[in-house]
Amino acid sequence: MTKIISLFILEAVFCFTFFTVSYSDINLIQTTCKKTPFYDLCVLTLKSDPRSSTADVSGLARIVADSVKAKAIATLNQISALLKSVKDPTLEKALEGCIVSYNTIIQADIPVAIDAIEKNNPKFAVQSATDAGNEAQACENSFAEKPSNSPIFSGNKAVHDLSVVLQSIASLLL
Amino acid sequence: MVDTRPFLPVSSHAGSDPTGPSENRRKPMKLQLSIFFVLLTVGFFAALLTSNNGSDNGFVKENEHGSLASPSSEKQLRPVSRGPAVGVSEKSNRLFAKDNENQLAYPWNNSMLSWQRTAFHFQPEKNWMNDPNGPLFYKGWYHFFYQYNPHAAVWGDIVWGHAVSKDLIHWLHLPLAMVADQWYDKNGVWTGSATILPDGKVVMLYTGSTTENVQVQNLAYPADHSDPLLINWVKYSGNPVLVPPPGILDKDFRDPTTAWLTSEGKWRITIGSKINKTGIALVYDTKDFINYELLDGILHAVPGTGMWECVDFFPVSKTEENGLDTSVNGPSVKHVVKASLDDDRHDYYSIGTYHEKNGTWIPDEPKIDVGIGLRYDYGIYYAAKTFYDQNKNRRVLWGWIGESDSEAADMQKGWASVQSIPRTILFDKKTGTHLLQWPVEEIESLRLKSYEFNQVKVQAGSVVPLDVGPATQLDIIAEFEIDNEALEKTTGSNVTFSCSSSGGTVERGALGPFGLLVLADDSLSEQTPVYFYIAKGSDGKLKTFFCNDQSRSSVASDVNKQIYGNLVPVLEGEKLSLRVLVDHSIVESFAQGGRTVITSRVYPTKAIYGAAKLFLFNNATEASVSASLRIWQMNSAFIRPYPNDKESQ
Repeated sequence: MTKIISLFILEAVFCFTFFTVSYSDINLIQTTCKKTPFYDLCVLTLKSDPRSSTADVSGLARIVADSVKAKAIATLNQISALLKSVKDPTLEKALEGCIVSYNTIIQADIPVAIDAIEKNNPKFAVQSATDAGNEAQACENSFAEKPSNSPIFSGNKAVHDLSVVLQSIASLLL
Repeated sequence: MVDTRPFLPVSSHAGSDPTGPSENRRKPMKLQLSIFFVLLTVGFFAALLTSNNGSDNGFVKENEHGSLASPSSEKQLRPVSRGPAVGVSEKSNRLFAKDNENQLAYPWNNSMLSWQRTAFHFQPEKNWMNDPNGPLFYKGWYHFFYQYNPHAAVWGDIVWGHAVSKDLIHWLHLPLAMVADQWYDKNGVWTGSATILPDGKVVMLYTGSTTENVQVQNLAYPADHSDPLLINWVKYSGNPVLVPPPGILDKDFRDPTTAWLTSEGKWRITIGSKINKTGIALVYDTKDFINYELLDGILHAVPGTGMWECVDFFPVSKTEENGLDTSVNGPSVKHVVKASLDDDRHDYYSIGTYHEKNGTWIPDEPKIDVGIGLRYDYGIYYAAKTFYDQNKNRRVLWGWIGESDSEAADMQKGWASVQSIPRTILFDKKTGTHLLQWPVEEIESLRLKSYEFNQVKVQAGSVVPLDVGPATQLDIIAEFEIDNEALEKTTGSNVTFSCSSSGGTVERGALGPFGLLVLADDSLSEQTPVYFYIAKGSDGKLKTFFCNDQSRSSVASDVNKQIYGNLVPVLEGEKLSLRVLVDHSIVESFAQGGRTVITSRVYPTKAIYGAAKLFLFNNATEASVSASLRIWQMNSAFIRPYPNDKESQ
């Protein structure tokens, strides 16, 4: 009997701890994402990374930064693939410009943002995140077929919106 | 005997273990499993309840950051602002022009990019620079140190760059003064200030970011005080000399000031920080720059202003036209507290009274307290720092001017940031609330050919070209007189005006805008107006605004297009006066003798080299203006490495 009761108590404690811990993680993700303009995107991105369960706001910013980089690499690959078969010179020029933008995001903006977050100088993370969003915007702007979307619109939008999320979260660290 | 009376009815299991002992064991297990599932259900309900609350308040800030209503149909991504962070109110001026007429996404070629380099503003030969550090005059040389990244055109790997000059204009690059070679500054040799001791020796206090990313203060001094170039520096063996005190976070403790003497003969410094969202300045006393006592109180605090970076604290004379040593105090002296606000990347100052006994400072006008009132500069200008120039008895101000183009362009051109031309700082006796900033007089040594224009009439709605030859390196001094009749006749209104929320120079008022178009091409497809806008209130009172409009400064779409500016006090009997320094991609503009200042970065694609021109313009609807100007072509300052074989970088 006592064995059962002690086991029961152990389980009760375990369950409550489990739920209070995950309750408060979900809370931090929610409160942080509420301060960004893309709540759903923010929550989805953070929840799909296991690090988010034990991350503070700095850690959440890091997760988003990694996600921007991943999406940027994917979009860069898309652009490169399109470049291989492109015939239209205007389209080619736009794609080449986008390569420059995406290289900047991957090689400069995100590494600087991550460095700044780590070194507790978040304003440079805010600035770099802003630039990343602007680079994606510049890429999208460079395609001539207005008003319809470019062939890489979804990549540009994803990188842009996530950069805005990163900018917002990094601002919380100021 | 175990009491297997269950909380829940025991059900028969398929595939149950027929053996006796297992059956006995299964009953308590089933019991515990059931309890577990009950708790699980309770937990799930709890989670469901809270997450419902969350998603209903899903936050989408309307119209500020690319929130697309229908993601698939609309082309535009709303632009991300390069300005203030989310949460700080953003003006509606878009960073990129929305309709993309005439906007080019990737216009940059090497010709355009190399034109952007300045001729007479301080900048290293390449890579990234930010805050000015430890400026001082020593043994015949002005010294300038700065935050520098030796490896890239973006922030990172920060060390101290160094340069010297005889006249604050012609700079010679020296080797790096300090690098990140100690555990206490491994993650950054950050900003600091110099103090000159009575015996003429120099000490430097600077912030180091340690291997654990803790912000600490360190002491350094010249290796050889007899070297006028102060090439080598030694870090005190007992560093750090200050660590974050109780109640202050490891990440909120940086940028120590120049020290000043107290009446007890101790040295006193202040260091910016914050407590929650209140920006503060901590005060320390020291006798030897090694041991410090933290004062009980703080110098000052202003709620809601966030972290105070690069705090500066200095006296200004109420009566004399010269600068004051940082230790000077007395009845004819006011003290200025300045802070760089992390939250909005702007430098703010306030004038007030220093109470020496308890190390506190009180603003003269709490409404324009630090962080909520006046700015040094209404453009792109940050991390400013003054020093007392004992050589010419003046207080000189340095300010970091970042880039407002894309980082892609910065990477391509291989550099980022310049410093403003050093400015003298004086108390504005006429207003009593403002400081006056003015480019140091040594800049006049760069003046070459001059052009004079007297009483040029500019009718409402017109543009007048000024033929001054090449228009990318200019020093312009101008005075404007506006038609008095129009001033009187115009009906006032209640409409409030601000440079940043206005439509720029295309928005015509009765009494403005009018001024200069710099870096403009012949067809005015690219133009950067620096101008006045007079607004008349319904009470008949006139308010003058001083603005710099970047919205049509370039057809490139990836540069800042905001409109900078602010109110400028114009007193009875004063003419409207303007000074503009044009130096390729930087424009520094001073109104009313430096009462209101705007610095901007400009990146034209066409209005470059010989195609850049200068115009007067008046886009008011009712008033004509007349302008008198003196304009000089400016020579290069030929900023280069110190010419000595030994000093190779």
